[in-house]
Amino acid sequence: MSTWGHGVGGLPGILALAAGLVLEGMPAPAQAYEPYAPYEPHAAHVTPAPSRHWSFQPIQRPPTPTVQSPAWCRSPIDAFILARMEREGHAPAPRADATTWLRRVSLDLTGLPPTPETVQAFLADAAPGREARVVEALLASPAHGERWAQHWLDVVRYADTHGFEVNTERPNAWPYRDYVVRAVQEDLPYDRFVREQVCGDLIGADAATGFLVTASVLLPGQIGKDEPSIRLARQDAIDEIVVNVSQAFLGLSVGCARCHDHKFDPITQVDYYAMQGLVAGVEYEERELRGPDIDARRAEADAIRGRLARLLLERTRLVQPVNSPQPRVPVNGRLNVERIPPTRARQLRLTIRETNSLEPCIDELEAWTPDDINVAAATGGATVQSDGDTVDPGRHELRHLNDGQYGNARSWMSAHKGRGRVVVTFPREVTLDRILWGRDRLGQYDDRLATSYVVEVADDSGTWRVVASSDDRERFLAGTNASDPFATRGLPPDEARRASDLAAQKADLDRRLRAVDSGQRAFVGLFRKPDRIRLLRRGDPEQPREDVAPAVPAVLGALRLDRDAPDAARRRALADWLASPSNPLTARVMANRIWQGHFGTGLVPTPSDLGVNGVRPTHPELLDWLASELVSSGWSVRHLHRLIVLSATYAQSATRGNADAPGRPSPPSHLLARFPSHRLEAETLRDAMLHASGRLNHERHGPGFDLFDLRGGLSGFKPVESFGPQGRRRMIYAHKVRRERDAVFGAFDCPDAGQSTERRRESITPIQALNLFNGRFTSDEAHALAARVRGEAGPALESQVRRAWLLALSREPSPAEAAEAVAVAREHGLQPVCRALLNASEFVFLP
Amino acid sequence: MSHGIPLHALSAPGRRLLDRRRFLSTASHALGSIAFASLLDRQRLLARDAASAASPFAPRRPHAVPRARNVIVLFCAGAVSQLETWDYKPALIAQDGKPLVGGPAVTFQGPAGELARPQYAFRPRGQTGKWVSDLIPHLAQLTDEIAFVHSLTSKSNTHGPAENFLSTGSVLDGFPSLGAWVTHALGTESQDLPAYVAIPDPRGVPQAGSNNWGPGFLPAVFQGTPMSASAPPRNLAPPEGIGRDADDATRRLLRGMNERHLAAHPDDDRLAARIASYELAARMQLSVPGIMDLSSEPAHVLRMYGVDDAQDPLKAAFARNCILARRLVERGVRFVQLFNGAYASGGELNWDGHNKLREQYDRHGRILDQPAAALLRDLKQRGLLQDTLVVWCTEFGRMPMFQKGSQGRDHNPDGFTCWLAGAGVRPGVSHGVTDDLGRRAIHDVATLYDFNATILHLLGLDHERLTFEHNGVRRRLTNVEGEVLRPLVA
Repeated sequence: MSTWGHGVGGLPGILALAAGLVLEGMPAPAQAYEPYAPYEPHAAHVTPAPSRHWSFQPIQRPPTPTVQSPAWCRSPIDAFILARMEREGHAPAPRADATTWLRRVSLDLTGLPPTPETVQAFLADAAPGREARVVEALLASPAHGERWAQHWLDVVRYADTHGFEVNTERPNAWPYRDYVVRAVQEDLPYDRFVREQVCGDLIGADAATGFLVTASVLLPGQIGKDEPSIRLARQDAIDEIVVNVSQAFLGLSVGCARCHDHKFDPITQVDYYAMQGLVAGVEYEERELRGPDIDARRAEADAIRGRLARLLLERTRLVQPVNSPQPRVPVNGRLNVERIPPTRARQLRLTIRETNSLEPCIDELEAWTPDDINVAAATGGATVQSDGDTVDPGRHELRHLNDGQYGNARSWMSAHKGRGRVVVTFPREVTLDRILWGRDRLGQYDDRLATSYVVEVADDSGTWRVVASSDDRERFLAGTNASDPFATRGLPPDEARRASDLAAQKADLDRRLRAVDSGQRAFVGLFRKPDRIRLLRRGDPEQPREDVAPAVPAVLGALRLDRDAPDAARRRALADWLASPSNPLTARVMANRIWQGHFGTGLVPTPSDLGVNGVRPTHPELLDWLASELVSSGWSVRHLHRLIVLSATYAQSATRGNADAPGRPSPPSHLLARFPSHRLEAETLRDAMLHASGRLNHERHGPGFDLFDLRGGLSGFKPVESFGPQGRRRMIYAHKVRRERDAVFGAFDCPDAGQSTERRRESITPIQALNLFNGRFTSDEAHALAARVRGEAGPALESQVRRAWLLALSREPSPAEAAEAVAVAREHGLQPVCRALLNASEFVFLP
Repeated sequence: MSHGIPLHALSAPGRRLLDRRRFLSTASHALGSIAFASLLDRQRLLARDAASAASPFAPRRPHAVPRARNVIVLFCAGAVSQLETWDYKPALIAQDGKPLVGGPAVTFQGPAGELARPQYAFRPRGQTGKWVSDLIPHLAQLTDEIAFVHSLTSKSNTHGPAENFLSTGSVLDGFPSLGAWVTHALGTESQDLPAYVAIPDPRGVPQAGSNNWGPGFLPAVFQGTPMSASAPPRNLAPPEGIGRDADDATRRLLRGMNERHLAAHPDDDRLAARIASYELAARMQLSVPGIMDLSSEPAHVLRMYGVDDAQDPLKAAFARNCILARRLVERGVRFVQLFNGAYASGGELNWDGHNKLREQYDRHGRILDQPAAALLRDLKQRGLLQDTLVVWCTEFGRMPMFQKGSQGRDHNPDGFTCWLAGAGVRPGVSHGVTDDLGRRAIHDVATLYDFNATILHLLGLDHERLTFEHNGVRRRLTNVEGEVLRPLVA
């Protein structure tokens, strides 16, 4: 069916339209021009009592209809689809061939086309149930979470900047993005998913509440100093939360009721402000994450720190000993190790003779026994004296010399420029084999460094002897502080090898610590005592009226709380109400979103509006059947995926071929009498190009990679022209700058995260053509694909072309295609052929 | 006219296409929308030509007879002071240095100071005797052409949200811009150029950035294409290292693949649209560099705009942007947004005169004045002003007081000036009044909804009927508000 021409008034209308004829009183352009609305025109019905609206009624599981051709059906879904088709006198399209189905289901479930090897294995699989096996594999792959999380992030308008006029970076938004990716990946039950996003902080999924604060928000510095500005900014911020909750979960647009009773839905202004009350304790803030998952991370971080500490001690045994034939490395500001022969000691004396500047400063002095006890620690009973201190209470004090705390802010500073002396007395005589000291083990300071010193010990007899000094070190050079205390030079080969191993282990642990540590702050909202909420005349904060108690819209439920209910109680009540199986909207809205994800259009084509003003479902019984199936499966989204992609409806060809009798019009697209092919979304297109070229970096989770030279800000974003490995991760991991669309793929209707995107548009524009045909990204990946093909297919152009087709389109070229491509490749090389493939409609559309 | 249609009611192609034979022979190139081609195809009236199909930019009729066909919006970012430009307040001279009785103690940036006289002399201009300041002497000569609104109000006193509000009708992010609405409704006369071009200022983009020309929830195709005389759009040339022959061969190979794919999927109009989009892209590769090349402009034109001003490279760059705006409209581009001023910068890069208003406005006025006035004159001389609406706007105004301890004025959304000129505009009128000190609008108080409704009206569009369904709401540029400002309409 053509998606054009609704309400155009036939050919004369079109001619007038096309000719630019201008006549008073013609239909509105929105009616004359709706190329992007391939569904029935707006429902014109008027429901006398909106509370009797279909989507507000309880979900009842309808029986599966009987059909004339039951043999066609492979899933209960098919009976519903076929029943309507038959009722309207149509038959399904032929089945898509196996390769087409495989490419379709792979792109749909994972956002990546199948590899040629997968295609081959699938075609060779003769055992029954091969489709189901493939679907299980696709659903189990991490790529599935990365693909379907994007659908949800569209709805909640996720971004990594704050939006509005400064649009600064929101550096720790991504834990919420990763939460969604993981939730999809683990098939987290949808009711749980809903609950966690509203009150995850209370039920052990802290990162989930990022949902509440995904919107643009004015930062404190941007809000006017005058009271009206402050009140308006807060109202806007709460409004965004109400709108998000009601659109995403309930498929209702309550936002209109901010200023006036809803024109269509039975949502009053009181209902709206009552909903504000449920979230009036939420502030847009970053904070430390909590919860068992986080506790586990913290425990892991502590464990890694413990291992690092043990590793460090082990490494101190593997430095060049004092008085070796070669000079030792120069001192440095962080940590210096004196490896001495085992020596009995009751006291230790460090005398500083020279510094690189000012009074010397030591953040910690440690004396280790062969069995790894720091006998200099104050906690073990050691005492310290000095020949004079510069005291800055809490910062520079003598006690900080052996208090176990590192860094300049807990250090000892001598009273004398360029010199100083400290003495540590141990509780009893001990054996020492290593002495460690540093100026600032945290690495921020390297002034006040002892560049010339001597270390002496005295045993119980009181006789002092020198055990180490700077004399056998290379001279410290001013301006350098780079020497590595763990350099392996001068070590016997076995020690050197062991030291290198330990260095590698340390680097690895450091990396893991960063990963575990970094997720601990997140932009997930701060919860406090709720604001007092009053009804505002015309939505104007300067015209407050009566107080409103927190509640859900009266037409939908009876949940109502006291005006003084604490924030946690409010959000928990909201979450329970939303996620209840008896809520008529929650399951319907999600079942419909899932359907839309597979077919491009939902059974209700307005997925964030199941209200009176929304379009009525094309297959109401099917929607309710799916919704009840969602609930009865324990809210398993994956269960619905299986039902849908293994159906006969989904397996139809995208073209009807000869399915229609001559002269008979094709059935309209909402009957689903063929598979509705659609253009790949921006992210899928980019990912699929990288997948074909073999350069997709599968690294998952964590901070996003850069599409621009800036991670936030007002303007002046320079697009990255040529991407390294980080930039070749899946696009869901791109650092999402609000309103700054990617220079190449943004034009493919990639949302800018300003407002919720219930459904991607599918425009086709010359800018897309310029970007995809002339852009550096395509050129780079075409080169990579060509190189890959040359490596995999051998020298013959024919086999190279064949391989390129398999990688890009999952099929062999036809003889004519192969001949044309080989001719181009012979004259201009393989890259132009690959560039054409990556631009081809067949590549860019879901088959 | 035998058709009974007044000739002026027809667009230029409409006039050409009254002859049906000629219409059918040229339609495929000049119009070519998918709807058009596929419907003709279905009616067996036109052999299907895949190359001609597919453009969402086919010219479309508005609701009513349009007075204007094209728009140039001259957007002065940062909030131009009405008190230093168009809104003459002699009482403020008398009150200079006195406190504003009953005025706010704290305004957007902090404590308010005393009333401050207009920083430029005003004098009566033209036939109407309209008092305009010496800050903008060239524009001041054109007041007889202009219809002023002095009583505008905004919903926000913060630059970003207020620019959103001016450009999209919502203070929030994510709503379609005026230009997106207009091109969505009307398409464009030029099939070789973008329908909607946003020309950023040489100093940078305004505070709300690309929201000002964003498509919001309309299809991305209706987004403004940003380009200026010094910064052409991206990807207009093949990637580096790809020769002309290889590029042509690639294009041919691709076209063959896409046509075969289309033949195998005859039910899918979008596949034809894609082929056509590559054709248009190829045409843009040729036409855009041409339109950016100002070397064909005669010296006296360059001089009139101030391109030759060697003292002020910013003025010269803005002047080139003004010429570009005229060239785009001349070639049938529907909507041009011409920015003057960048983002908030303590008033250094735009009209946000908080601190040293006089000193900064001296600079900004020089950049704006001569080029913008030349643009209006040039449009008029070429007869383009008959079809082109020129809008001068800014997101809000400024306070009659200086801020405490500064020589500048704070944000004032309660009464400020914008104006219209050109097609369909009643020249020489002033609508609405602010109080004696210019603090707030008091008569014929108008909103930016009204202002935008008026712009749509002049284009033949009814702001209440220009709607788009999004997330369950039938959205309009003017939300549920707005009334056409009739006194501005000729």
